[in-house]
Amino acid sequence: MEKGRERNRRGIRGWFDPTVPNNLERWAYFFQRLTGLGILAYVIGHIGDTSFFVGGPFGTGPNQSSWSFDLSITENVVGHLILIFVVLIVTFHGINGIRLILAELGIMVGKPSKIEYPYRPSSLRSVQRHIIWVAIVLAVLAAIWAGSILFG
Amino acid sequence: MSYVKLVVQRYDPERDEKPRFQEYIVPYRKGMTVLDAILYARDYLDHSIGVRFSCRMASCGSCGMKINGKPALACYTQVSELGTERIVVQPMDNFPVIKDLATDFEEFFEKHKELMPYLVREDRAEQENPKSEYLMKPEELERILQFTYCIKCGLCYSVCPTVGTDKLFPGPQAIAQAYRYVEDVRDEGGETRLNILDNPHGIWRCHFAGSCSAVCPKGVDPALGIQLLRRYVMRGKAPRKKGEGSKPFTK
Ligand code: SF4
Repeated sequence: MEKGRERNRRGIRGWFDPTVPNNLERWAYFFQRLTGLGILAYVIGHIGDTSFFVGGPFGTGPNQSSWSFDLSITENVVGHLILIFVVLIVTFHGINGIRLILAELGIMVGKPSKIEYPYRPSSLRSVQRHIIWVAIVLAVLAAIWAGSILFG
Repeated sequence: MSYVKLVVQRYDPERDEKPRFQEYIVPYRKGMTVLDAILYARDYLDHSIGVRFSCRMASCGSCGMKINGKPALACYTQVSELGTERIVVQPMDNFPVIKDLATDFEEFFEKHKELMPYLVREDRAEQENPKSEYLMKPEELERILQFTYCIKCGLCYSVCPTVGTDKLFPGPQAIAQAYRYVEDVRDEGGETRLNILDNPHGIWRCHFAGSCSAVCPKGVDPALGIQLLRRYVMRGKAPRKKGEGSKPFTK
């Protein structure tokens, strides 16, 4: 029995498969994790990048050549696209995070009521769901704004 | 449509190395449910198919399974609503497989029991042998009514991403039922339930993926119950202390 037990637990696969049962909150859950990992990767990269011109393990110290070298790897089209992507995921992660904090305080998740068929759970049609769309729209707008600055 | 191709996931953990799929051709009739199709295959084509069912009307919660990848009650899913002649049925995720489509609910019910899904009174003698009824106002009933419709089918448990990785997490069904009793004006066991849930594998592990509510066939909305219960856990205070439950009705 133990063999079957282990086989059937969904595991981390379940975190990264939002298609079952495909509700918007499950997609937000998936993107919250994904963007969290993206932000973590950016922070690690940013620390490495900063170390170039403050004399960290890769840098030669705070001087003109290390600063120029740092700019050469970040001030280009790919570097800018990465930064635009970072703005996109940070904005989504932040706003969706606020939604989750409020929802987990029981705010904007609706309230119990008499239910009738076809059932439409109040938590999945409450204000919190609109905030997911707000997070998506604001993340795209922030990315466009960042793009206009970096490429403008 | 004159027939359906029923594809059943076969797996006996005692004998098989891994699951396999077996196909059965089942004659279609109007109004046929997925459970009807499985029972036809079991009765006329292959007696060895393992499946659990009872009421055939979405009241007992026995026939939860994945139908074309989506968790649902087989008795509550019409073949015609799937819009395909090929129907793949698999056991629910997050439950150990007993055989084929039948899954083991032991862990699920243990977690449910741990959160005391019954009215708790400080006066134990009164709890066991109540002398009269306990009245509730309609608005008090409305706060818990939808949660009382839970049939313990386990569909919510099977889609919960936290249950999938944390064996100790009670799961959406058990926590929603804890809310149902904590919020019940006749109950005095709220503080004990909140203490059980206030641990690293408890209520804090829910991240509101909402999948439990999306699949619940009875409109229970466990995600709502969990978030509302979390307010009480956060305050460290149940709505009623011991001895503060509603009083027995007297004329
Ligand atoms: S809450 Fe809904 S999905 Fe979960 S066990 Fe109860 S009836 Fe089934």
